[in-house]
Amino acid sequence: MKNRLKVLRAERGWSQQDLADELGVSRQTINAIETEKYDPSLPLALKMGQLFDLFVEKIFSLDDVAATETRRRGAK
Amino acid sequence: MLIPILHRQRKAAQAAAQAIKEAGGTIEQTRRVYGTRLLIRGLLWASVYLLSRGLLELTIPSAAARVAIALLPTPFFIYYLWTWMKGVSEMDELERRIELEALGFAFPAAIVFMMTIGLLDLAITLNPDDWSLHHVWLMMPLFYYAGLWRAKRRYQ
Repeated sequence: MKNRLKVLRAERGWSQQDLADELGVSRQTINAIETEKYDPSLPLALKMGQLFDLFVEKIFSLDDVAATETRRRGAK
Repeated sequence: MLIPILHRQRKAAQAAAQAIKEAGGTIEQTRRVYGTRLLIRGLLWASVYLLSRGLLELTIPSAAARVAIALLPTPFFIYYLWTWMKGVSEMDELERRIELEALGFAFPAAIVFMMTIGLLDLAITLNPDDWSLHHVWLMMPLFYYAGLWRAKRRYQ
């Protein structure tokens, strides 16, 4: 899954620690999400949406392989 | 009329942001306290284990005394385990996943290790001075820490 977390955070001038503090998680968790090594749970993604005042799908999106797979299944 | 309402709302938003920040600070502080407690209680357990082990190598004739000495580290280990479990319940979702992956590695690794030792013992009778339960249990925490290292690396 891809995400725009790093960009959104940079736009607001927040450090990873600032964002982690706002969301009540560790800085390592923010780093792992930004580097796309970890996909957050739905509650955490919703909290991020609330914090950035954006819909979750404006922050997270399926990567190309997963998106193609979803489209292919939908076409059946 | 509108300005005081907006002003109050802004103040409330600032207070909420400050509360969230303070809560974040508390989370970091909680983690540090947990790490220190875990280390101290782990060292306490290890010290009592070594003491118990040392005493059992002396010639103590009373079987009751030997059993009491053998059981001495158990409450310290339970205390350590309780600290660890309490810490896990306060971890965030990634930290819990790392713990799960560490245990997911350690548990099957321990089974494979014990199975292999058991079969080798049947095949060639291993020397109990090296391969008895006195020593072999030490591999279990090693498997856990290997799993923890592996899982932490994955999410770095």
